[in-house]
Parts: sequence; structure tokens; C-alpha cells
Amino acid sequence: MPEQNKMLNDFRWIMDVVQTIDVGLVLLDKDYKVHLWNGFMQNHSSTTAEEVIGYSLFDLFPEIDEKWFRRKVQSVYVLKNSAFTTWEQRPYLFRFDNYRPITGKAEFMYQNSTFIPIQSLDGSTESICVIIYDVTEQAVNNIELEKVNTTLEYISRTDGLTGLLNRKTWEDLLEKEFARESRYHENCSLIMFDIDHFKKVNDNYGHPAGDEVIRQTADIVGESIRKTDIAGRYGGEEYVILLPHTSIDSAYVLGERIRKKIAAKPAFYEGEVINYTVSLGIASFHESLKNPTHWIDCADKALYESKQSGRNNTHIYQYPETPSDGG
Amino acid sequence: MSQQIVLSEDHRDCLQEISNVAMGQAGDHLARLLDAFVILSIPHVALLSPSEIAMAVQTVDNHNVSGVCQGFIGGGISGESMLLFNDTSFNDLAKLMGYEEEVSGTAEREVLIDATNILVGALLRGIAEQLDIEFSFGPPAILGQHQELDKLLSSKNVRWNQALVIEVGYQIENHDVQCDLLVVITERSLYYLLNKLNYLLD
Repeated sequence: MPEQNKMLNDFRWIMDVVQTIDVGLVLLDKDYKVHLWNGFMQNHSSTTAEEVIGYSLFDLFPEIDEKWFRRKVQSVYVLKNSAFTTWEQRPYLFRFDNYRPITGKAEFMYQNSTFIPIQSLDGSTESICVIIYDVTEQAVNNIELEKVNTTLEYISRTDGLTGLLNRKTWEDLLEKEFARESRYHENCSLIMFDIDHFKKVNDNYGHPAGDEVIRQTADIVGESIRKTDIAGRYGGEEYVILLPHTSIDSAYVLGERIRKKIAAKPAFYEGEVINYTVSLGIASFHESLKNPTHWIDCADKALYESKQSGRNNTHIYQYPETPSDGG
Repeated sequence: MSQQIVLSEDHRDCLQEISNVAMGQAGDHLARLLDAFVILSIPHVALLSPSEIAMAVQTVDNHNVSGVCQGFIGGGISGESMLLFNDTSFNDLAKLMGYEEEVSGTAEREVLIDATNILVGALLRGIAEQLDIEFSFGPPAILGQHQELDKLLSSKNVRWNQALVIEVGYQIENHDVQCDLLVVITERSLYYLLNKLNYLLD
């Protein structure tokens, strides 16, 4: 019977392909009992087909979220349409441990899965096939790339010495805040300060000591402000802090706190004790401000007043009484 | 590929009819799956350039949009569907899809992917059946979340001049869910598609 032999032969090679193909194939009936468990699935789960076929998937693999799985499969039956899940939503469907001791980069196999409807001879959908793809390589590469991007973004936004925002990033945020204030007229204040006689620190103790003073000042700023405040290193020894939702009085309290902390805490560098102080200027948001630079100018003017009146103090910028024209 | 494609009146009407029928079937399937009445707009069929796509979007507004794409291919016809969701509809969409828990982060992505797969699959199956072909689908991929529509559409490098676009708006009764589905069929497949249409028209 050559006809029958051909059929058997065809069936044999199809089964061979199914068995050896390097993706997982699982056939499930409506009761979620397993009907096909190919070589990939056997090898990665360390089970034989006999141990799995005929049993409920949820009993065999309790790691599968049953409620979620049923919802997914339901849409396949109703719409006769494939469904998908990728490693980005769920790292895996079946927990398979990493099997490559040298080049394996992850603890487990990241998987994409596709659920496809399988029609029986009468056209009704009686079972579904789940296809499991090993996408560990791709997933690990993507995750690493994302990490690098996050680090790069952090580096590009911050100042290397102090960890505060760099000038460019801080100015971008100031511009946004300025636009918001112009619309909503909420309280918002801006502190600008610098280290008194910083040149002397450098001259007397050397530049590395100067760096230590700059770093310590940034640390004190960091521990004094709230999460919503935006601190940046504006220039060499110049700092700026933007305080959204903060009245000029509260800003003054914060400024004074920072000033006193700095005055009370000397910096240490290679056995040297370096006492230093800062002078501050504060300007709150005001309708008469034309642009963000204008706002910085006002804070800078207040800072200049602090310098003029003997340093190690804080001044508030006073806007002219009639904001109608000029400024 | 450089020559301008022309869609005759007959071909356009035929595609319109195919889309209408597919929409009807899709609405029926979706109602059964989601247990809710789906209000579908009349499909809008047109040849568009990439810059015109944003203008074709009718149902969602332009701010805070999430987009998901899914490629399909079969019978010489290939393309990509894009589903655009209004971010305001998010919680209702999750509820509709049977997510009872608070939705955040990865679950949000999963709701988007599932919803896209279901809405796209329902429509394209209907179209494929009438053309007597079968489509293979790739996994849906998130194009972007919570963005301006223009930004979402322009960020990708598009390599075609003109494509056939079928646009459908979905709303779901008693749920605040609004989304817009665009099926973009590439220039390259239009030849096969028009052949199929000729066969139906004869």
C-alpha cells in the first residue's frame, strides 16, 4: 500500500520537525489539558511527554497565573484569532532556568509566546497551540541598553563634581516653571548663592581643597531641600535653588538654614580645616518678570546686596512698587 | 514603486463595502467577548501620504495618546495596523478587558497590547475572509505612551510615499473608551489587493 506508506512517511517527517524545532510547542484542549509537548518543552522543563500529556497545565506549572492565562485563551476561542504576550509584559510563561554556563546572560529564559487557535475537521475551534520563543538574548540586550541610556541621561543632566543638576538642565526646568507661574501665578521662589572669597580657598589650600568645599556645599544643599525643590550648580562656586509652591518668607527660612549650616560646618581636606561662608539672594516670582533670565538677574541683585553688606547673610529682592511699566 | 497609484471609484467602493462588512462582524465578535455594545464609525478608506495620516484620525483627540502597532502579512498583502487610544479611556479599557486590579506599569502595557490584538484581529479577520486569504500576525508593539499624536506619528522613519489607509473609530457603550484604528496597507501589496478586488468585482 504505497498510498498509506506515503501518508505515514509525511506524518513522520512532520512529527520530526515538530519534535526538533527550536521553539516550544504546546497543544491544549478546552480543559487546559496538554496534548502536545514537543522536544523543546521536554528538554527545558526536564519532563518527558508521558509526565505531562493528559494533565492540566495549571497543576503541572503552578507558576502560570491561571486567571490571566484563561482570559488570554478565551479571546482566542471567541475571536478565532491569535493572542500574544511578550517578555516586556511578562518575562516568561514557563520558568526555564538558564542552561548555558558560559554565554547565558540571564537567570532564566525570557520568552515571547503566541496563542493560536487550532480548528478541528468540522471547523470548530477545540484546542489552542501555545508557541514559546526563547528571546533571552534580545531581552538582555534591551535591558542593558536601557540601563546604559538611563546612566547616560543622568550624566548628561548632572554636574560631575556635585551631583546637582548642571546649568543647562536647571535652566530648562526654570523655563518650564516660569511658563507655569506666568499662567497660574502661584508662589514660587528662587535662591541664588555663592561661596564667599572662594578664590582665597583655592589660593590658600589648593584647587582640590576648593573642589571639596564645592562638593560639601552641594551636600548641605541636597540634605536641606525638599523633594520638589530643584537645585543646580550654576557656575564655578555659584548655586541656584528653585522652590515651587514656596512663599518668599519660607524661602528665606530655608536660605538662612543653609547659610547657618555651612557657616557651622567646616570642610576638611588632608588635615586642613577650612571654614567658609556663603551669601544668598532670593527673588520670588513676580508678574513684572519678563523672562527666566530676568528672574535670575533679580536674585543676583539680591545676592550682590548680601555681598555689599558684609557677606554671610541673605537678602530678598524688592520689586518696585508699581510694576506697571519697566522693571 | 515611484509611479503614482490610482484607486478607481469601483475599487474604492469595493474596499469600502469589504470594510463595512468586516466591521459588522468585528462588532459582533467584540460584543460577545467584551460583553458590551461596540459603536463603530463607518470605515474611511483613502490613499494617503504619511503626513496625511494624522489628519485621518477622527475619534481620539490630539493630546495624551498611546499607540500600538501590529504587522500583518498574507496572500501577497501586507501592512501594519495602528491603534490609538485616548489616555483618558485607560481605566475603563482595563475594566472592559477584565483587569480588576489597579492597573499600572507593565499591566498598562499588557492592556494596550491585548486590546490592540483583539480589535485589530476582529477587523482583519473579516477582511481576510472576504478576500479569501489568511493573515499572519506579529506580536503588537507599543509605539509610544502618553504623547502628542503628532509626536507619536512622526518619530518613526517612514519609507513609503503613499499607502492605502482604512480608518475606523471605536466607542464602547457605557464605557469611556475611545480609540482609532488605522490599517495601513503598503504600496507594494496594492497590486495583489487590486487583483483580488477585480476578482470580486467581475
